[in-house]
Amino acid sequence: MEKQTIDSMVGVLDARMNRQLKQYMDICVRCAICKDACHQYAGTHDMRYLPARRAELLREIYRRYFTKSGQFLPALYEAREPDENLIDELYESTYACTGCRRCMYYCPFSIDTGWITAVSKGVLIAAGRGNEMLGQLADAALFKSDNMDMFRDIIVDGFKGIETELREETGRDIAIPVDVAGADILYVALAGSHSIKPAAMIFDAAGASWTLSMFEAANYGFFFGDPAKAKLIADRFMNEAKRLGVKEVVITECGHAYRVAEMFYEAWAKEKMPFKVRHILEVIDEYIKDGRITVDPKAIRERVTYHDPCQIGRNGGIYEQPRDIVTAIAPDFVDMTPNREKQWCCGGGGGIVAMEEFNVMRLKSGGKKVEQIKATGATVLACPCENCRLQIAELNEVHDLRLRIVPVMELVVEAMVPNGARPGAQ
Amino acid sequence: MDWFSYLTSGIGVYVGLAVFTGGMAWRVYDWARTPKSPVRLALYPKPETPLARLGKLLKDTLVAPQSWETAGTLMAFAMAFHLAALAAFVGHLRLVHEFTPLVNLLGIEGMNAFAGWSGGAAGIIMLVTVLYWIGRRTYGAYRNLSTPEDYLLLALLLGIVVMGDHLRFVGGLHAATYQAWFASLMAFKPAFPTELASSTTRYALDWHMLFVDAFLIYFPFSKLTHAIGAFATNLVRSSE
Repeated sequence: MEKQTIDSMVGVLDARMNRQLKQYMDICVRCAICKDACHQYAGTHDMRYLPARRAELLREIYRRYFTKSGQFLPALYEAREPDENLIDELYESTYACTGCRRCMYYCPFSIDTGWITAVSKGVLIAAGRGNEMLGQLADAALFKSDNMDMFRDIIVDGFKGIETELREETGRDIAIPVDVAGADILYVALAGSHSIKPAAMIFDAAGASWTLSMFEAANYGFFFGDPAKAKLIADRFMNEAKRLGVKEVVITECGHAYRVAEMFYEAWAKEKMPFKVRHILEVIDEYIKDGRITVDPKAIRERVTYHDPCQIGRNGGIYEQPRDIVTAIAPDFVDMTPNREKQWCCGGGGGIVAMEEFNVMRLKSGGKKVEQIKATGATVLACPCENCRLQIAELNEVHDLRLRIVPVMELVVEAMVPNGARPGAQ
Repeated sequence: MDWFSYLTSGIGVYVGLAVFTGGMAWRVYDWARTPKSPVRLALYPKPETPLARLGKLLKDTLVAPQSWETAGTLMAFAMAFHLAALAAFVGHLRLVHEFTPLVNLLGIEGMNAFAGWSGGAAGIIMLVTVLYWIGRRTYGAYRNLSTPEDYLLLALLLGIVVMGDHLRFVGGLHAATYQAWFASLMAFKPAFPTELASSTTRYALDWHMLFVDAFLIYFPFSKLTHAIGAFATNLVRSSE
């Protein structure tokens, strides 16, 4: 491997080094307790997917360039100069990781392998081995924001089309407001109407002051492993929120987008945002509890279970609001075991559903989730994350689970009482 | 003292303690001077108050309840080793100063019997757990995850424990003899008392101390820094 490439990789590791990463590099005892926490290792028993091994690959480079002991006694510490073999294994281990951080939960030292793999992605990008598909998707998102004048009319026409669909489906005029200065909420949806229509119906029923972002929530820069690109992608709607002067940014049912906006963005931007960030289910839960929307408590008659997406659950702290919503509309709710912070990752996070090369392993890694779902006997799965839904939909097909997999807000729309949604408004 | 005893049970102790103390201080300083992660790395749910955070930190670090759920056998061995090592460390403090309140309570014969029983149990537990780890690393499915460093540390631990157990079960010398040797160390005039110098047990002590010295010197440059680092990393999972 060329010296210039190695220098570049080491430079990235140096730039991303912080106290936590250094401690994660220094203290792992390779006990492999994490093996039983990882859905990928559980599904494949392949050492490349053992969390401690994923971290160990970066640790080998760290020891070689960042520790005196690794420089003096490289054989003892397995301190390695990166070569093609190491990069190949690092690529496989790193981009396969869904960043669910279940291994961190069970690690006796709370080593954050998800964070380590995020840094490994940066090192791989420096080596010219970033995942091409994720990189292209990130660049496409940035192209859109750089050329917004070219896309604006097409996007607005699309929103008009959604208004027409809503009129046909509900018989009511439900507006999709855009660019509304002074609105309370900037709602950031996903590409496509499926995350816009139910939210519009709920906002409309609640009489909310809202406006729809021109940009989608998904952030492939985050999955790609480039924080600079990830920030630029999030900048699009964060700057929009600042420009419009909204009180809060509400992120749709998308796990990583919520985590980027709520957990990472202010640190990346190095400034405190003049608005708060909430997940759409926090808002809907509030609407139901405040009586701003009325739902039929027996609307969903099938048995329903709920999947905690890792990025809003273990990594975002949203556990109870979705359950409160589902139990408010579905009397036969059965939780999976384990759940909440111990919930198994479905295997679809981290951008892995966009990387075909991992398809076989990805489906194997969903084995634990399949077992969990089967054990509930549910026929409806409420799931507030797009990547989780894509993965579980494939598992549904492969394992013939006969599940209806729906976003939580879609269930809420099914349960909303006609003409009673906004008391006194009709 | 002959040159080997002087090296291992004399000067080596000072070198070991100096490198251990200085090395660990440097390690902590190195961590502390490195900027904190700018992004939030907590896991949820997390405690809301500083006191609750401290309680969770202590529980996560000293008990690791979540690790027990997924790796009960390994954790049982790990916990047994750490508790036995702690007991052995506390027991060795008797070399620095006699546990007078316990002696008053049990009498000197009773104290020696208690020390013999508890020290022996700790020694056996440590031996069994170290052998378990060696077996797990050598023949287990995770051999490929192990590095030479892992084996070096286990070899040093095995040496310390085997020679320590030899002193405990075969040596035949009482605490007072070792206390006299340790008093000489603290006076910076390392010497063996006659009873020890004239006994073949001193060879076992020298080898015990050789492994201890090497262990102390190596400690700050090894994964054993988890002894302190685990508190910091476990705090992160509960932090803002």
